[in-house]
Amino acid sequence: MPRAPTRIPLARRARRMRTAPYGSKMADTASGSSGTRSGSKHASTPADNYYLARRRTLQVVVSSLLTEAGFESAEKAAVETLTEMLQSYISEIGRSAKSYCEHTARTQPTLSDIVVTLVEMGFNVETLPAYAKRSQRMVITAPPVTNQPVTPKALTAGQNKPHPSHIPGHFPEFPDPHTYIKTPTYREPVSDYQVLREKAASQRRDVERALTRFMAKTGETQSLFKDDVSTFPLIAARPFTVPYLTALLPSELEMQQMEETDSSEQDDQTDTENLPLHMSTDDSGPEKENASVLQQNTSLSGSRNGEENVIDNPYLRPVKKPKIRRKK
Amino acid sequence: MNRKKGDKGFESPRPYKLTHQVVCINNINFQRKSVVGYVELTIFPTVANLNRIKLNSKQCRIYRVRVNDLEAAFIYNDPTLEVCHHESKQRNLNYFSNAYAAAVSAVDPDAGNGELCIKVPSELWKHVDELKVLKVHINFSLDQPKGGLHFVVPNMEGSMAERGAHVFSCGYQNSTRFWFPCVDSYSELCTWKLEYTVDAAMVAVSNGDLVETVYTHDMRKKTFHYMLAIPTAASNISLAIGPFEILVDPYMHEVTHFCLPQLLPLLKHTTSYLHEVFEFYEEILTCRYPYSCFKTVFVDEAYVEVAAYASMSIFSTNLLHSAMIIDETPLTRRCLAQALAQQFFGCFISRMSWSDEWVLKGISGYIYGLWMKKTFGVNEYRHWIKQELDQIVAYELKTGGVLLHPIFGGGKEKDNPASHLHFSIKHPHTLSWEYYTMFQCKAHLVMRLIENRISMEFMLQVFNKLLSLASTASSQKFQSHMWSQMLVSTSGFLKSISNVSGKDIQPLIKQWVDQSGVVKFYGSFAFNRKRNVLELEIKQDYTSPGTQKYVGPLKVTVQELDGSFNHTLQIEENSLKHDIPCHSKSRRNKKKKIPLMNGEEVDMDLSAMDADSPLLWIRIDPDMSVLRKVEFEQSDFMWQYQLRYERDVVAQEEAILALEKFPTPASRLALTDILEQEQCFYRVRMLACFCLAKIANSMVSTWTGPPAMKSLFTRMFCCKTCPNIVKTNNFMNFQSYFLQKTMPVAMALLRDVHNLCPKEVLMFILDLIKYNDNRKNKFSDNYYRAELIDALANSVTPAVSVNNEVRTLDNLNPDVRLILEEITRFLNMEKLLPSYRHTITVSCLKAIRVLQKNGHVPSDPALFKSYAEYGHFVDVRIAALEAVVDYTKVDRSYEELQWLLTMVQNDPVPYIRHKILDMLTKNPPFTKNMESPLCNEALVDQLWKLMNSGTSHDWRLRCGAVDLYFTLFGLSRPSCLPLPELGLVLNLKEKKAVLNPTIIPESVANNQEPVNSTNNHGQSVGFQNTFSNSQEEEEIDMDTVHDSQAFIYHHLNMLERPSTPGKEQSSGEMNMHPVSAAPMSVFSKESNSSKHSDHHHHHHHEHKKKKKKHKHKHKHKHKHDNKEKEKDPFTFSNSPASARSIRSPSLSD
Repeated sequence: MPRAPTRIPLARRARRMRTAPYGSKMADTASGSSGTRSGSKHASTPADNYYLARRRTLQVVVSSLLTEAGFESAEKAAVETLTEMLQSYISEIGRSAKSYCEHTARTQPTLSDIVVTLVEMGFNVETLPAYAKRSQRMVITAPPVTNQPVTPKALTAGQNKPHPSHIPGHFPEFPDPHTYIKTPTYREPVSDYQVLREKAASQRRDVERALTRFMAKTGETQSLFKDDVSTFPLIAARPFTVPYLTALLPSELEMQQMEETDSSEQDDQTDTENLPLHMSTDDSGPEKENASVLQQNTSLSGSRNGEENVIDNPYLRPVKKPKIRRKK
Repeated sequence: MNRKKGDKGFESPRPYKLTHQVVCINNINFQRKSVVGYVELTIFPTVANLNRIKLNSKQCRIYRVRVNDLEAAFIYNDPTLEVCHHESKQRNLNYFSNAYAAAVSAVDPDAGNGELCIKVPSELWKHVDELKVLKVHINFSLDQPKGGLHFVVPNMEGSMAERGAHVFSCGYQNSTRFWFPCVDSYSELCTWKLEYTVDAAMVAVSNGDLVETVYTHDMRKKTFHYMLAIPTAASNISLAIGPFEILVDPYMHEVTHFCLPQLLPLLKHTTSYLHEVFEFYEEILTCRYPYSCFKTVFVDEAYVEVAAYASMSIFSTNLLHSAMIIDETPLTRRCLAQALAQQFFGCFISRMSWSDEWVLKGISGYIYGLWMKKTFGVNEYRHWIKQELDQIVAYELKTGGVLLHPIFGGGKEKDNPASHLHFSIKHPHTLSWEYYTMFQCKAHLVMRLIENRISMEFMLQVFNKLLSLASTASSQKFQSHMWSQMLVSTSGFLKSISNVSGKDIQPLIKQWVDQSGVVKFYGSFAFNRKRNVLELEIKQDYTSPGTQKYVGPLKVTVQELDGSFNHTLQIEENSLKHDIPCHSKSRRNKKKKIPLMNGEEVDMDLSAMDADSPLLWIRIDPDMSVLRKVEFEQSDFMWQYQLRYERDVVAQEEAILALEKFPTPASRLALTDILEQEQCFYRVRMLACFCLAKIANSMVSTWTGPPAMKSLFTRMFCCKTCPNIVKTNNFMNFQSYFLQKTMPVAMALLRDVHNLCPKEVLMFILDLIKYNDNRKNKFSDNYYRAELIDALANSVTPAVSVNNEVRTLDNLNPDVRLILEEITRFLNMEKLLPSYRHTITVSCLKAIRVLQKNGHVPSDPALFKSYAEYGHFVDVRIAALEAVVDYTKVDRSYEELQWLLTMVQNDPVPYIRHKILDMLTKNPPFTKNMESPLCNEALVDQLWKLMNSGTSHDWRLRCGAVDLYFTLFGLSRPSCLPLPELGLVLNLKEKKAVLNPTIIPESVANNQEPVNSTNNHGQSVGFQNTFSNSQEEEEIDMDTVHDSQAFIYHHLNMLERPSTPGKEQSSGEMNMHPVSAAPMSVFSKESNSSKHSDHHHHHHHEHKKKKKKHKHKHKHKHKHDNKEKEKDPFTFSNSPASARSIRSPSLSD
């Protein structure tokens, strides 16, 4: 390993780290990036502190590992790189473990999640206990946490309800009343028929307009005016391979509608005068026929299935196998 | 009765009798659109020296013919492929029509002819002499047929079955020869064995009983074996092959329905009604359905909506509909009923000859009418009869008559029964499609007249007799010679009628069947107070073309204060005035109810009446028992009474039409009352809407209150609480549905004093669109929405244009902007949620064309052309093409005309090809007397080529091309062609010289009335001129025609009989003019112009008598002549124009 001008004795670093109080910043140890932050020490947020502390701990770890491996000193950049690698390795373990636990519908990773993760990452788990118990290992004390980031206190509203007598006192307290107390509010629904219709109509119109405009914008268009293609964009006519299908079959919307109207009553706004009135028998001939057959049809299809077996129709008969003797 | 043919029974025109035919199609290739197969005809010679067998075959490639297993020589010659061969410069329609008729005759199976002539091998002559059976075996194939069989092969991925590829037979009249060799006649019956080998995923549907279906050895195909034991004409044989979905009728298991994949739910609904039609016909005819099974097939790109064949019918798939569709339901049911009626008369009972066609069409149309009456009610039935009557009357008056029973052959006293027409009516294949439609219409109306005469009971007995005779005959073996009982003839039918009813209907037949034309009555009356008599004057116009004189009884119904009275007047030669005594004294004060015809007694407000007269209203021929047009004059209050109180829907409709001429508040009130009356027939109410709009426009300066119908619509269809919003749709009551659809359309026709659609009306319609809500409706509102767009289109008035500025968005009228906004949205929504049959797209396209035409939007055919492309739904294509046709006319665009004509030649759908020609004929870019830049030689050549050879695969299309040619250029040589330099043409081929026919028409064309005289009278005069003037050149042309006719015969006739001109002329049906009959003498004349005038002079003397009838018209023409002459740039002396003064009829008179 080539020796570069700025070197730090690893052991010293490790030692110093061990004693350095968490959160206190030292201008000479921090990486380049942390150096810039050092000036604003007091302004740093708890999150920043965490970040820095984590980073520093990792550096200590890297340094001690290097020492363990017999290095005496290392270039700052090398330490940084190793730190980076270690950090991403640990992050990956965390991320993966979290995924595994979520995959099994849990929120907290268990040991097995970690094991699976390590296996997945190509780490031989069985070597881990032996490695952990190795003799020359250095023990790094956990950095003492000085200022715990304060969770902003939730706004308390009202008095928490005391436990009722049947709930033992060690159970958690009731949450704030506002989280479960229901205060019903009534907004007068728009019941004015005219407004409703108006609204429905303009809503539908807007939707249709927007939809068709969108379709027109995204596809080919035709125009009625040569100089203007955007005011009245017409979606270009495209020929079908089987034109009669779209023309004859009811659209899905219509089918749906038909099902709905079959069960539900007609709109109550439709007045009695619109109900079927067959005044003179002559006039209503076709209509009556229509209506009766329409009804028949539903009952008809039901009864058909049962009969099918008895029907003798040449088109339903099985196709015969060719005679073997038959010459072609 | 001097019908020789019928009395003797049927005589076959062929020297043999067909007993059985096998049709076997081994292979159908959808990719290549080809068919391979063979036929085998079993025939019995009826003469000893039969050595040639003539059969019909078109398009088929014939590989091999064997007679009783011996190879036989054959000749194939089809003169209809190219009608006129040699006269490359002939562009005269008269000439063409005659040549075409001759060509069709030359292969007409009813005359014993055919395209295919098979020589009986000499080894068999002895066999033939013993009149022993012959088996004619023909191997044939068909490659990319252009007619007869139609392949529908969607261009997409997958196997043919997955794509829904199918093929079916189609055509107009007897067209079976297009897909297999046969005797393509309705009168040659035989039993059938039909075999089709098709892909295993497909079904072959054909006539008769499906005996069995057998796989081929490789199991990839199967063969359908059909047997048809009932003797059937080849023309009634049909076929449909495709991956059909099969539905066995749940009511009648012997009935099977077929439709294309995915449409089964629609098929179930559509056919669920058919069994009732069956029951109805079987009941009235007291006869079971003659075949043992019935099949309906619904195919795409159908040639016609309904085609009936023996035991099966082929329908257009577009007739299928779901339960949500209102408007299509009655239409489809009508089609089903029509098809079924034709099963009895048309398929099972066939006809002896073309001139007996009217009986079949008449009976099937008549029983279909009875079904209509039972199903849709008397009102609908009478409305339909009235509609049909109006149509036939209008058509006959326009074109000069429809003849139901043409008699030909040896008819020297009467040249050509249809000389007023530009086509021959001798053959179904030369008929204009419109003529044929009208022919069918007239046939059933005449059947109804016969019913009126002999009663329905007897009528049905006659039908039953015909059917039972036929069904007895059908079960007989061939040897019993009974099969001809299955053929109906005019005389046989009339004999049946006289046997059953004991009544003589000869005068009726003579009037309506043996001669063409309708009756035109003009009626007026005066009331003679002193005598208490109604003096009725009934005049007839029997001189205009298409009319005939009526002599006989005529019913007149007079509604008086005391009741309704029928009077039967005897219309005679010279009696114009008829005195009808009145029953009631005019009385005013007695308050009494007034009895109506149907026994009802009603209160009427009599204040509008003439105090002196007891007459409320008068009707002439109320039962429509004459094929007539009645123009009757009575005062407005009488029409109003008639509208309000007469119970007959026809009378109400007549009254509504008459009231258009009386824009008064009283008329308005009568119409509004009718509109509101729910008992009133919905069609009458719909008609009243349009009349009210017209009246409102006439009364615009004095009109009070909101726009017509607005408050009525609001009351009927809008919410009680908010009158500006329409109720959510509920179409359970169909009468109100139809009214709701129609009222906005009629309202949009309202105009204010500036002749603009009132803003209030436009906003009203826009609100209807805006608030339209169909969510709770059981039925689809696509037709309603389409009509709302129609209403928008109706509201459009011509744009105020400032010195022809270019139409841009900036100068768009704000109202039009609103309309366009709606149209754009509707049209775009159709792409996302298409409506049934794309009714909305159709309406949008029409509306856009209206906007273009009125100058709001730049006129541009590009949009329509894209919608007209193959691959759009047929209704959409037709609407788009209609717009292009209209554009072609308005903008005189040569490019678009060419585009249309290219489509006529190349479009895959036969119906579209036909329809383009039809639309061009109805809305022509120019007519024969019009100066147009489009009218040039190239176009003449193109159209000539189209009808001469380009449409030989489709009779209907060819006749359509002829119609168009006639509309554009008239009967004579098109005026845009240059005058040939030579007056005489030496025809080396025929070794004779004829007067160049190309030089005559020029003068005739100049004599024509200008087309812009749109009234009836003007048109008829124009027609008369053509008629009388074209006669002379007709005669000259006849000459060449007969030569060519002879030429065709000559070539067809394998007996190599020498033909001489003299002989041909004597055999011709045309009355030959002595001068033109001697062509050599014409040749020897030095100056053709002198000859010319001579000729005309002579001619005029000869026809003087005839012309006197049209004297006033000639004067008219003469005046016009002079005018023309002044303008005429042609002044050279030997031009026919110089002879005009001599030719002028007024001088020669």
